Amino acid sequence: MSRFRPISTLMRAWTKAKDYHPLSRWTLSTLIWLPIGITFTELFFTIRTVSGRSMQPTLNPDSSLSRDVVVFSRIGQLNREDVIALSSPSDQKLIVKRLVALEGDRVKTLPPYPDHEVVIPEGHAWVEGDEPFKSEDSNYFGPVPLGLVDSKLSFIVYPFQRFGPLPTPLPPDINAPRGPEWRSRVADYERQQKRIARVTVAPPKDSE
Amino acid sequence: MLNIWRTAYGKLSSKLTRPVLKKFALRSLGTFNFVCATHLFVQHVGWIHLTDGPSMMPTLAHAGEWVLESRLIDPQNLRRGDLAIYISPLDPHRLVCKRVLGLPGDIICVDPTGDTAPSAEHVVVPKGHLWFIGDNAEFSRDSRTYGPVSMGLVRGKLVAKVWPPSAFTVFQNNFNYID
Repeated sequence: MSRFRPISTLMRAWTKAKDYHPLSRWTLSTLIWLPIGITFTELFFTIRTVSGRSMQPTLNPDSSLSRDVVVFSRIGQLNREDVIALSSPSDQKLIVKRLVALEGDRVKTLPPYPDHEVVIPEGHAWVEGDEPFKSEDSNYFGPVPLGLVDSKLSFIVYPFQRFGPLPTPLPPDINAPRGPEWRSRVADYERQQKRIARVTVAPPKDSE
Repeated sequence: MLNIWRTAYGKLSSKLTRPVLKKFALRSLGTFNFVCATHLFVQHVGWIHLTDGPSMMPTLAHAGEWVLESRLIDPQNLRRGDLAIYISPLDPHRLVCKRVLGLPGDIICVDPTGDTAPSAEHVVVPKGHLWFIGDNAEFSRDSRTYGPVSMGLVRGKLVAKVWPPSAFTVFQNNFNYID
């Protein structure tokens, strides 16, 4: 009776499976590297399609015919005004929202929320969609724990005319020619200013 | 220019095709692949972990006990009395282990002793949330402090205590209903 050698038995089974068919050789030797790929998407970057209207007009604007394809990153710190993907606290679906406030901040809420103002508790954040009416956000379910945050938006890939990171809205140029584009830029800037005005940022913790 | 490029490429390729180097590169990449596979196993299937802290005192000791954790669960299928592992709502970098007390729709008395909340305060556990409580109520920060916990934070379930061998136990659901 031969001794039990798990590794060499495995190796022999592996070569046998590879030599079974020329096609299986190719597939198997590609699939064996899958763990590196999956770990990369779980720790660094992933690519996702954004569906839904809650982040209009930043993502999926009415002018684009297809859904946006976006790269999300899992590295780096979360800051206010970042666009993040998180799982919804009530039904674990992945949703894309804007991070409005972090722990300790004081936020003036919008209508569906019962209180007029909230102070964000420890380890929580306040998220909102850019489109105020079609978005189920913190104004419905309150502050969300940071543990639910999955990743943050890094750059847009697919509609190639909007390729790149999200543009930061700048104050409108008065001398520029007026037009639909100019007006949408002004609207973006005003929306951002209104959002920032509703948040009283807490002093940083390690200032002592 | 092209000539320089060609000689450089030739030297490099001859170096890379040298069997020893190629084998070494392939081996290290394979080891890295194995590390990644282990990471995925720990994240999605389960592993043994060292427990810490007084919050689950009669069930788990203060320190030095290893538990087997299973991640192959659906938080929807957790029952009252199960030991679950979830990301602390107060600190996203911390995993905590507590006992499930309430499922979505249950009405819970926040704290019958009246220490952290008035003993008459009752809440309904919302949809997609669970109510967690530590076995050692006095030294535990749980749903009484931060309220119902979203199922999105739940990572796994405790299966058994494996170390020390004298304390080996398989955790079974021992939840009783009083009629």
